[in-house]
Parts: sequence; structure tokens; C-alpha cells
Amino acid sequence: MSKALRIITQVLFLYLFALLGNFLVKQLHLPISGSILGLFIVLGLLHFKVLKLSMVELGASFLTSEMLLFFIPSAVAIIQYKTEILQHGSQFLIVILLSTVTVMAVTGLVAQFALRRLANKKGEIGQ
Amino acid sequence: MIAFICILLTIAVYVLSKCVYKRMRFALLSPLLIAPCILSLMLVGVHIDYSDYDKGGRWLSNLLQPAVVGFAVPLYKFRKVMKKYAKIIAISMSTGVFIAILSSGVFSHIVHLNDSYLLSLLPRSITTPIAMAVSVDIGGMPTMTAIFVIVTGITGLILGPAIIRSMHIQEKLAKGLLLGMGAHGAGTSKALEFGSEEGAAASLAMVLAAIITLVFAPILTPLILL
Repeated sequence: MSKALRIITQVLFLYLFALLGNFLVKQLHLPISGSILGLFIVLGLLHFKVLKLSMVELGASFLTSEMLLFFIPSAVAIIQYKTEILQHGSQFLIVILLSTVTVMAVTGLVAQFALRRLANKKGEIGQ
Repeated sequence: MIAFICILLTIAVYVLSKCVYKRMRFALLSPLLIAPCILSLMLVGVHIDYSDYDKGGRWLSNLLQPAVVGFAVPLYKFRKVMKKYAKIIAISMSTGVFIAILSSGVFSHIVHLNDSYLLSLLPRSITTPIAMAVSVDIGGMPTMTAIFVIVTGITGLILGPAIIRSMHIQEKLAKGLLLGMGAHGAGTSKALEFGSEEGAAASLAMVLAAIITLVFAPILTPLILL
């Protein structure tokens, strides 16, 4: 099978798991999204060797590396909100900018601090 | 017919802006910022309604679902690393979610946004479907939340690498977590550019951020509205 064809089949295969996730979420009234449930299903199937990595790897890496393309239509959707943007656009932007910087910096620093402490502890034990 | 043209046009503009970005390597030229700007100008220029554009656009947006499922692959590959650092990941992500909700609320207060905008901003750092669900849950406007989520993605994608540099974040796990926490899927795609371990950490962060927010947001919301 050519590479392109394999990517397409694997993308459709992954899509099936998203649909399965959507279905289960609806039936069982779960609060999470179908695609996240689908992710866990695939993870479980890989873990229990029901699925082989080679059955999904090409499709998954195609989808995740071109993911920005799939965000573009939702970004274009902003043009529908002209009045809100004209009225409050700068306020929205300030909140999102400052908050995103804060979140990223804090998360990164906490993780780095914890990782280094763990590494130091292990180092002491090793001595 | 118009739907099909819109899909092709979106892909063409995306591929083109990706080429430009690869050549210039300038963060503000990210395809997620440039391509929507070009497409919006085109739509306005030729008087096509967004609803007509979205008949095609929807097909591309829908591919986000299998893409999220696809993050199972990096997660699976690095499951041992993720398991080993489970405690650190849990601490970092809980802190991240707490700060995300709190800082969105505090900054909204500071710039005097009304409560319904404030509530719509609270879940902005997680993946769209769950962010919209949380928004409904806490009394926000889900369509505005969807916009804030995408703007957060663009912001995080552009600023993430600069934050990593200026804060001297060196650990791969920390880089991935901050990108996935701060900018959901968009950040995760940036993390994959750094490397597959960063990508795996970001995938996990994206998923955990969504789940933790689902639990935390309704609890924190009354405190923020005080």
C-alpha cells in the first residue's frame, strides 16, 4: 500500500474511535469529550496489544503534525463577532495574553522545580 | 461546490503560510495567525458569509477529533516516562489549571469586563469541546469561549517558545507540560516540533488540563465572582 493510502486509512480508523467516543459519551452522559474518550480507548487497546502501533502511527503523526490546519476554520469564525471585538477586543486580548503567559510560566517553573528536586534527592541517595 | 472550494482554499493558504513560516522562522508568522487573517480578508473581500465558508471549514474542524485521538500514540510511546513522573505531572497540572482559571478571572476584573465575558474566559485554556461545556456549566457564553480558546491557542503557540527561553526551562517534560497546559492542542503541536517526548508531555497536559478544569471550574467560579 502506498504511504498516502495508508495515512488515509489510518486517519479514517482514528476517526472511528472518535465517533465511538462521541457515541459512548452521549449514551452514558459522560462529562468529557468523545475524542478524549477515544484517545483513552486507543491507548488502552495499544496497551493490551489489541492494536499494534504500526496500525495507527502514520495516521496519528500526520494528524498531529498538521493539526494547525484544523484550527483555522474556528479562527476564521472570529469575523462573526465584529461588534464584540470592536467593543472589547483589546480587553479580551490583554486578559488572554497576560493569563496565558502566567499559566505557562508557572506550570513550567513548578514542573522544573519538582523535577530538579527529585533529581537532587536521587543524587543524594546515590552518594 | 462552494464548500469544496473553501476546503481547497483553506488548505492552499495553510500550505503557503507554512512555507513562509518555515523560511522566515518568525513566531508572529505562525500559520495559525497568518492563514486565518488571509482567509478572513478573502471572505470579506468576495462577500462570502462565514456560515457558507464553514460548510467546507467544518470538514477540516472535524479532523480535530481524530487528531486528538491520535495523541494516544506519543502518550503510549512515552508511557513509562509519564508514569515515572506521575506525581510531578499531577502537581504541575493542578497548579496550572488553578492559575489558568484564577488569572483569567483576576485579569478580567482588572480590565472591567462584565461577568458573562469573565465566565466565558475562565475555561479558555483547554480544548474547545470541553471548554464550551464548562462555559455552559458555569454560566458563560459557549460561542465566545470557543473564540477565546482559539485566541489562547494562537497566543500560546507564539509566546510559548519565548517563555521557555526566558524562564530557562530546560527539562523536556516541563516544556511539554507548559505548552499543553497553556495552549491545549495548538501548544501540543508546537511541543511536537520540539521533540516527541515534549509532544507526549503536552498531549498528557492537554488531556489532564481539560479533565481537571471540568472538576475545578465550577468550584472556583463562585470565589472569582465574589
